[in-house]
Amino acid sequence: MSKLSLGRKTSSGKLSSWVQPSFGDFFAGSGLNSVPSSKGLSGESKSKARSSSTDVGGKKPKKRKGEPQSSKPEPGIFSNRQGSQDEPWVDVHSPQTQAELAVHKKKVEEVETWLKDHLDTKSGNKGGSVLVLTGPSGCGKTATLHVLAKDSSCHIQEWTNPTTAEYRTDESFRDSFDPASRFNSFHSSSQTAAFQEFLLRANKYNRLQMSGDDAGAPERKIVLVEDFPNQFYRQPGCLHDILRRYRRTGRCPLVFIVSDSLSGDTSSRLLFPKDVQEELSIHSISFNPVAPTSMMKVLSRIATLEASKSAGRNSVPDKATLEQLCSGSSGDVRSAINSLQFFSYTGADFSLEQSLWASKKGKSSTAASKPRSKGRGRPAKASTALEESPAIGGKDASLFLFRALGKILYCKRESYEEGDVPELPAHLSEHQRDKLLVDPELVIERSHMSGEFFNLYLHQNYVDFFSDVEDVARASEYLSDADFLTAEWTSRSTMLGYGSSVATRGLIHSNAARAQAAHQSSVGFKPLHKPHWLHINKTFRENYLTAQSLFISFCLTPVSLVTELVPYLAKLSNPMRNQAQITFIQDVGHLSLRRFPGRLQLEALGDKDPGLLDLDSDHEDTGTKSTEPSTQNPLSGETIAVPTLPNSQEPGGDLPASQPQPTTSQALLDEEDLLIEEYDSD
Amino acid sequence: MSLWVDKYRPTSLAKLDYHKEQANHLKNLVQCGDFPHLLVYGPSGAGKKTRIMCLLRELYGAGVEKLRIEHQSIVAPSKKKIEINTIASNYHLEVNPSDAGNSDRVVIQELIKTVAQSQQIQSSTQREFKVVLLTEVDRLTKDAQHALRRTMEKYMSTCRLILCCNSTSKVISPIRSRCLAVRVPLPSTEEVCSVLMSVCKKEGLLLPAELARQVAEKSGRNLRKALLMCEACRVQQYPFSADQEIPATDWEVYLRETANAIVNQQSPQRLLEVRARLYELLTHCIPAEIIMKGLVTELLSNCDGHLKPEVAQMAAYYEHRLQLGNKAIYHLEAFVAKFMAIYKKFMEDGLDNFMF
Repeated sequence: MSKLSLGRKTSSGKLSSWVQPSFGDFFAGSGLNSVPSSKGLSGESKSKARSSSTDVGGKKPKKRKGEPQSSKPEPGIFSNRQGSQDEPWVDVHSPQTQAELAVHKKKVEEVETWLKDHLDTKSGNKGGSVLVLTGPSGCGKTATLHVLAKDSSCHIQEWTNPTTAEYRTDESFRDSFDPASRFNSFHSSSQTAAFQEFLLRANKYNRLQMSGDDAGAPERKIVLVEDFPNQFYRQPGCLHDILRRYRRTGRCPLVFIVSDSLSGDTSSRLLFPKDVQEELSIHSISFNPVAPTSMMKVLSRIATLEASKSAGRNSVPDKATLEQLCSGSSGDVRSAINSLQFFSYTGADFSLEQSLWASKKGKSSTAASKPRSKGRGRPAKASTALEESPAIGGKDASLFLFRALGKILYCKRESYEEGDVPELPAHLSEHQRDKLLVDPELVIERSHMSGEFFNLYLHQNYVDFFSDVEDVARASEYLSDADFLTAEWTSRSTMLGYGSSVATRGLIHSNAARAQAAHQSSVGFKPLHKPHWLHINKTFRENYLTAQSLFISFCLTPVSLVTELVPYLAKLSNPMRNQAQITFIQDVGHLSLRRFPGRLQLEALGDKDPGLLDLDSDHEDTGTKSTEPSTQNPLSGETIAVPTLPNSQEPGGDLPASQPQPTTSQALLDEEDLLIEEYDSD
Repeated sequence: MSLWVDKYRPTSLAKLDYHKEQANHLKNLVQCGDFPHLLVYGPSGAGKKTRIMCLLRELYGAGVEKLRIEHQSIVAPSKKKIEINTIASNYHLEVNPSDAGNSDRVVIQELIKTVAQSQQIQSSTQREFKVVLLTEVDRLTKDAQHALRRTMEKYMSTCRLILCCNSTSKVISPIRSRCLAVRVPLPSTEEVCSVLMSVCKKEGLLLPAELARQVAEKSGRNLRKALLMCEACRVQQYPFSADQEIPATDWEVYLRETANAIVNQQSPQRLLEVRARLYELLTHCIPAEIIMKGLVTELLSNCDGHLKPEVAQMAAYYEHRLQLGNKAIYHLEAFVAKFMAIYKKFMEDGLDNFMF
């Protein structure tokens, strides 16, 4: 379904040729008019059309779900549009008032106050102010902004990336080969320049006063950017420069809307890094996925509206179906509404249950209708949602790493109801646990990480959640088991799943303090951290190799080199041959004997951080450098003076002088060397 | 100025300080100008390399002492380029094939082939064969060891191999049977003492016999370590006093403190601190096995006799895991946590018995 709306958005003209017939079957089956309304508006006119609100034509293809008309829609037009069945419901039912928004009230208020503060340019704050809205797709960012803009009666001017098709039309293409019109054929400029000009114009010029507008009222405007010119992804600095200029000269608030994604390179962090945000005092508001309750409200509202309108042709999904839609969409209103529309079309003769939840097991249909025991039945809902995912229409659920880790480490449990408590024999009673509410394998799958990395994250963080050493011992044993399972590289791909299962389930089970649901509330919020191991391992190996190449002249095995020679060299006044060796010895040979090593800074894991490990982070290297002066041994005066020795930096001179070697042969060496390499370590 | 270890290293078989009988045997072995493949093994710091170099000198004269470091790059059949450092004289080539990791087989085959195929120019004055000295043979993969076996037979006419390792248990038996095995045991404490005394005498220093003895004991009869220690003592304080404190390496002290931290308190927070310390040791190049071994030694000396078998068994279990697994920290930490659990339980039980 989301594909459909996406297709509409991008190439409305093409759409009718190949997408429509496939859906025509559906429409014809239910006796509906199957002609899509979106025609005639080509891509290039869209961007301009958008900026003026006069062509509020009902046929305008919508780009985003929650995008209401920028001016008040005429009631007449609205009802007309409701008549046409193939208009996406997301557009038809786009929220018009704050009450209709599925977004949490607090968030709306937050955005509203910001807008209020910054819309009044007269009230002293000079320069343009910038707001960034972030959140997963379909959580109502755009809708909120549009509704608020309407409420405060200001006009939204949106940037759209110019399409290259603009000068690729047949005519201009032919023109480009026409020598006469050579000079004005390619009038395209770079997207960045176009963007800059757009900002300038949006800033300077007011909208034209058209008839029918209530003239005279001071024009207030918000500039909205959802599409980013591609150049900015490659060179975020470009955007920052423009923003800096805008800060100084801009008059109206500038709003960026960035969707979060799980796939590593979160564009919001790339485009708006923390330091730039601070420098330009960019205000950032992050949206959460839509809560199930408000989503339910929206869905049932739309369902009843549509049902009454279609006079029985559309089936009204029952509550259970709505709930499943709700949980299947994982907080994405747009996809939920799209699915809802799709399901309603399939008609009553279809068995909804069967067609939608193809993957459902037999028990689940009873589970859905089973009377809920407590409160609003949320735990039960959560567990069913985890068990089944809809065959179609469901959004691919995913979890941010932070939440995935939390699910495992906090391991929510639910106490059994009276009667069906499985009893363990007495000697196993210590393993009695309440029912687990998370499915570890599913959590790992949704975290989009390999089990190995996930285990590393768990390992870094699990100790904080334990209070008893024996439990920790058991948990660490499971982690060790998991590593052991994946040790053999030939079978690793098969064993990875088992390894992570063992690790996660082992961790959950061994946390005896959290075995009963009743005692679980004790652990407060604990910050999570990124794993150290990869960095440590890398440093270890680098140092190991460096040691070997630096001290090859001592002809020692690596182990005795690093455990005997280097540490003792650090204690001796023996002159080193080159600076690299001195630095290495000071760095590696010495251990600061303070009680708590200060070198390992914990790097906190943010709630939106991607699960990728930046191996190149050098934050520890800088730490090392800074401690170096303090770790200099008392002999450093002596050692530093050494490089003035004759063969200090000469690679050719780095012969194993330590080896049994008559000093008289030294002179001959240079001539005899066949191949002497430089092994000055980096 | 070089280290005492290198400065006073004996250069001929006749000048060796201990195992003189064995030195005699070796001398007789090369007397006729030829010798079989050798497998020299023994613990670290016993003098294996010293003996091998003496042997080569006996064979080729002072020429073997003119060493140069060569940087060789070998292209594996899979087009992977392997870089390896070798130490060579005109007569021999020393290489540590395990530097190449998994590609050690290629290194062995290619290196020995190139050495063996190049004939000696002046065979009248020289031997007819070159010597390839392979160190750390026990760390070779099985694959490489089998390759070594074939190579040994193939190039017997132009090339002799001297294999050097700590233990023969990881060397496959076909190789062991093709070599003359020479075991170099650790010197006795007295021998270490006498070496220390003579070195100090040559340096013009006066070493009290008591201190020499302490150094020898503390070094675990590892002569290299003993000499390094002795030199560190000299830096620390001279003239020597008999009851002088012998400087230990930083990592040993650090490891001991870590062990004490484990014994002093058993809690998840302490485990986190220990983990940070383990990481610190690893970044300072101390291999995980050494950490494990050091920890066990320290912990065993700290805990009650009843616990010792259990702790030792655990240590063996996790050491095994360490060898098989990928990420050392899991296993190190599991061992520490396990020890903490056992120790805590033991202490609590002990307390209970004491109370009632």
